[in-house]
Amino acid sequence: MGSRDLHNKESVEKIIYMYALADCNNFFVSCERAFQPNLEGVPVVVLSNNDGCIVARSNESKAMGIKMGTPFFQLKNLVDNGLLVVRSSNYSLYGDLSRRIMSILADAAPKLEIYSIDEAFMVMDGMDVEAIKAVSHEQVHKIRQWVGVPVSIGIASSKTLAKVANHFAKKHPGYKGVCAIDSEDKIAKALALTKIGDVWGIGWRSAPKLEAVGVLTALDFVRRPREWVNSRMGIQGVRTWEELQGSDRVEHENDEKRKSICTSRSFADMITDPDELMLRVSDFAAICAKKLRSEGTVAGTVGLFIQTNRFREDLSQYESGTTIRLDVPSNSTQEIVSSALRIFRTVFKQGYKYKRAGVIVTDIVDADAVQGVLFDYDESLRERENVISCIMDKVNTADKNFLRLATQRPGHYSEGIRSQYKSRLYSTEWDELIEVR
Amino acid sequence: MAAEGIRAGFPSPAQDYMNPFIDLNKELVPHPTATFYGRVVGDSMIDAGVEEGDVLVIDKSIEAKEGDMAVCFIDGEFTLKFLSFSEPDGPVPVKSSGKVRKSYDILSHKELWLSPANDKYPAIKVTEANDFTVWGVVTYIIKKVSRK
Repeated sequence: MGSRDLHNKESVEKIIYMYALADCNNFFVSCERAFQPNLEGVPVVVLSNNDGCIVARSNESKAMGIKMGTPFFQLKNLVDNGLLVVRSSNYSLYGDLSRRIMSILADAAPKLEIYSIDEAFMVMDGMDVEAIKAVSHEQVHKIRQWVGVPVSIGIASSKTLAKVANHFAKKHPGYKGVCAIDSEDKIAKALALTKIGDVWGIGWRSAPKLEAVGVLTALDFVRRPREWVNSRMGIQGVRTWEELQGSDRVEHENDEKRKSICTSRSFADMITDPDELMLRVSDFAAICAKKLRSEGTVAGTVGLFIQTNRFREDLSQYESGTTIRLDVPSNSTQEIVSSALRIFRTVFKQGYKYKRAGVIVTDIVDADAVQGVLFDYDESLRERENVISCIMDKVNTADKNFLRLATQRPGHYSEGIRSQYKSRLYSTEWDELIEVR
Repeated sequence: MAAEGIRAGFPSPAQDYMNPFIDLNKELVPHPTATFYGRVVGDSMIDAGVEEGDVLVIDKSIEAKEGDMAVCFIDGEFTLKFLSFSEPDGPVPVKSSGKVRKSYDILSHKELWLSPANDKYPAIKVTEANDFTVWGVVTYIIKKVSRK
């Protein structure tokens, strides 16, 4: 670690981490290409839920000037004229390939922090840069061959710099997918080439203000005194300022943070009425959603189980449960509740006396990690849900839910969603496999 | 969720030796992150016992070699064939990874052929004019035998 002495002057005893940020190139498009190799080299875009607007672009469609978030109807004529290929989002496919990629990365790193569906930090403590580079090249090759998705890896001593390095790895083919920024020299060069608006942690609100006072690049930014940054942008800005110089300041993902949340109860009286049981299940789901919101996380999977009283051997016994993956990780009460109820309808059987039920949410990640990827996922709907969820949090106390959703009606979600250009569930559905002649 | 309730008396001595079940995933899929499945259409591999409707277990982690049954992508279509070279026993230049989709190694002058297992179809010679890649090597074929 050549740059070890250059920073962290005031806290030498602190462990110095090295990060390798693995980020899939144009992830959704690459997933489509993994099973449709004829889409290689062709301009491709992937649409948001309901075929609303562009959420992913291939390099070729970027080169055509197509911007993220463009409403699809504005591009439809390109598709009709054969100049652009479009796919509806296929989250089951992306989720499966993401899981495979993360599992490959987890095998290669002492610690892996999954940041979003297509990004993860490999935390490489105690390894020297050359070794990290070698491991990274291996992963790029392996993921491309095993899963079929191109990945780029950026290496640096802070997460923010690793992001910058990743940018370079993606942009310049010469790096062969791996770029390390591991000396003061390289840091300065890289920062000079990085627009301030492209820096992780500099929001779209701050960027124009900084540009207005002459801070155009990341290098301009770190050359300003700490006090200047602090007075304008507060502690968050100072963090970014330090990180860009190679100091590791982003708080480490809290290991204490739960990987799953389960809300389950044994009922005082056994329940036979499905409506009654549904109500209980909804409450459990709502509690899970509330806990997620309170810790600023979202869950990717919702599970439900119901069971009869095992100790009453005189009664017929039944237990069942399963999980479903959400298209987009969520902490909205509506979404978690409706998912739990969807499972409920598949597992509930009449004629049993139920003693216990529970809702488990898993695949928990930070909420902002998800927003970055799917910024426009039915945003107005999300906003509305968030407002409703917040009101519910305020009114409902821990053990009494005064406000319940009217959406506890079956089938409120995921029906009537448009996905006219959806590819198959190649890797998760037995009846939708690739056809081989 | 434990399936066993509380029972009185000695537990069965056989319990300690019980394997839960044979797990086909464990036996047939050593690389789950790299394994995908494909459905056979047509009869080009019929003499190798591969029929329409069979399911292929495709392990993309395996480097393709001469003689492998492989799922290839050629000119817009997935095809199932044996890989063979005009000069036997030569090193196999084809890799299923990477951006470069060179169909054969120019320096070694070895030609790549995709050989069907059905006399009705000719072998296909892969040239640079083809859009070609070896997608994955087939490790098992799942065939439904019962009528129901």
